[in-house]
Amino acid sequence: MSKISPRWKLTGLLILALLLPWLPLGTSTSYFLRVITTAILYMILALGLNIVAGFTGLLDLGYVGFYGIGAYTAGLLTIHFDLSFWVILPMAALNGALWGILLGAPTLRLTGDYFAIVTFGFSELVVLVLRNELWLTRGPMGLPGISPPIVFGHPLKLAWEFYYLVVLLLMIVLLVVTRLEESRLGRAWFAIREDETAAQCCGINLIRYKIIAFAISASIGAMGGAFFARWFKFIHPDMFKFWESILILCLIVFGGMGSIAGTMLGALILIPLSEILRAILPQGMFTARYLIYGLILVLMMRWRPAGLVPFDRAQESKAARTRERLATSGGKE
Amino acid sequence: MDTILKVSSLSKVFGGLSALSDISLEVVTGKIVGIIGPNGAGKTTLFNCLTGLYYPTDGQVFFQGNPVVPELSSRKAGLVQRWSLIFIILSLAWLPLFWSFFLSRTFFKVELTLLAIFILSIRLLVVRGLKEFQLWAWSVMFVFILGDLYLAIWWLTHPTTLGSLPGTEVRLAYFAFPWVSFAVPFSIYLSWQLLLRDVRQLYGFRLGPDQINRLGMARTFQNIRLFLGLSVLDNVRIGAHGRMHQQVGSILLRTRSQRNEENEIEQETLEILRFVGLEHRTFDLSGALAYGEQRRLELARALASHPRLLLLDEPAAGMNPQESSQLMQLIRRIRDQGVTVLIIEHDMKVMMNLADNIYALDHGELIAYGTPDEIRANPRVIEAYLGRGSADAKA
Repeated sequence: MSKISPRWKLTGLLILALLLPWLPLGTSTSYFLRVITTAILYMILALGLNIVAGFTGLLDLGYVGFYGIGAYTAGLLTIHFDLSFWVILPMAALNGALWGILLGAPTLRLTGDYFAIVTFGFSELVVLVLRNELWLTRGPMGLPGISPPIVFGHPLKLAWEFYYLVVLLLMIVLLVVTRLEESRLGRAWFAIREDETAAQCCGINLIRYKIIAFAISASIGAMGGAFFARWFKFIHPDMFKFWESILILCLIVFGGMGSIAGTMLGALILIPLSEILRAILPQGMFTARYLIYGLILVLMMRWRPAGLVPFDRAQESKAARTRERLATSGGKE
Repeated sequence: MDTILKVSSLSKVFGGLSALSDISLEVVTGKIVGIIGPNGAGKTTLFNCLTGLYYPTDGQVFFQGNPVVPELSSRKAGLVQRWSLIFIILSLAWLPLFWSFFLSRTFFKVELTLLAIFILSIRLLVVRGLKEFQLWAWSVMFVFILGDLYLAIWWLTHPTTLGSLPGTEVRLAYFAFPWVSFAVPFSIYLSWQLLLRDVRQLYGFRLGPDQINRLGMARTFQNIRLFLGLSVLDNVRIGAHGRMHQQVGSILLRTRSQRNEENEIEQETLEILRFVGLEHRTFDLSGALAYGEQRRLELARALASHPRLLLLDEPAAGMNPQESSQLMQLIRRIRDQGVTVLIIEHDMKVMMNLADNIYALDHGELIAYGTPDEIRANPRVIEAYLGRGSADAKA
């Protein structure tokens, strides 16, 4: 255990992240930044899914549905009303939360596999609606020509500008997730994951807290979608297929269910890996990357079943932090 | 004397098996009351009924005078019937509107499916009756809200384009305005009820385990049920969940009141852990604790909710004599702080020293009640524990 406090570690990482665009990489800088931006986008998504799958212990296979809802909310609002990105972001989050509640309220009474099936159905439903409701979404033609966000009167264009934007979003999401984790709400989620009956007998209303988890997770996913729409400038129903859900779930399982650092590390490793594989694998074999992901997961299950940064470890460091804080505050009194 | 818990003629039937039959008991405030009985006598089932994990087949439970499992009153039953009648009438008014609205559209396949689900759920609601109300209330609501919002928005944006009912001269506008003005507030009201208050509380007739806990009844479990992946500190803080007030907003903004509450709960947690003698393990994983320590941690978690009544399910099971005598002292100290204790115990020795009064159960029936000495001498209790014949021998 190092003696550096987590606050300093975080600041160091942030400085490192801010310096990243200025590394002397020559002409490949913007490509490199695009890959990292994708990785950070998936970090945001994985942090959102982690609230349901990792903290609350519910298997949610329909997460990409909220991502799609967020992306289409942002895309349509941009095209039809030309709203600012900073207005659209909370609107997308609210829309995601709304659908999270509408889906969660009736289905969260189901448990285990049944719940997973329902969420799977939801993600398929979202794709079907996006594909077929032509009057709203233009269906398989997609939504082209979404304008980029405008910051201080300057429309974002360059790779590093988007990179900074996504880092900002990540900081916001990270703030939300860490604050929730160390609160009454986070502890209620952990309790539900560990033992539902005991949680109930501790005064936790299961349905209520599951719905809150679902809504917050959905709104984070929708925020990721809103960024994606304004960044990529084109969205299509096929981008929000079921496989994306599985990929995000893979990131969490790989990194460590329930641990924030693990989730982020998982995204930072597996998403660029896909680009590396694109270079390594022969032409036309690119879809085989899922095979390699599968292989990695199998090996992980054999050698490190709790993920790269297991949840236990996170709990221990949290307890250590509390101990330090109590020691210092006790000294003052 | 004050009774904190009153159970009157409680029964629980699993399938054809009667686990509890006609149990009536009263627990006096500030006492330690024991429940004994051989294996399978229904002691834990009784606890589960009291804490809301099981729904008793019959009977009532009052906690501090408040009904936890109240009687099925005719007033409430009437209320539910009236509610569902409104539901059905409203749905009948809804159908022709829905139908005529979507017949003129080209993309009505999805909506026809919705309609089918809607009719199905109404039918199921009627057929299955009120017992299954929860689930179907939800599904009906879901379709209701979707349809409401869709139609309401469409009507508000296209007030002049409404046609007439198919095959008639009746203008749809005559329906639309009263319908929107009635159905939308109704759906909003109902969804608010369904979201904020548990359906069970509104239409059913009892409190859930979480609500019972917040009233001031905490319990431990026979097979220890800790949150093993969390630290000892977190376990106890979760126990205090029902007393805390922070919500999503205050957590995200980290308001002053939220931080104060967290600090208070932390200090209090440390005090409780000191009280049960676990302060040296505060920051350890609860899964790493020894068996006896886990038992005490579960007790600490229950105490954290500031209960008025503590239900202990075999707290001394699996402990050596020294540990169990420590535990008995602990329970006495809890009692001295003004907490009433209801305790299930297998070990007669523990019970004789600890309890002020004892209820004896056998085969789901109450067979004896009295002070420990009376229970010890009661032939029916001896018979239940040792079998017929030995009662005479021991006497």
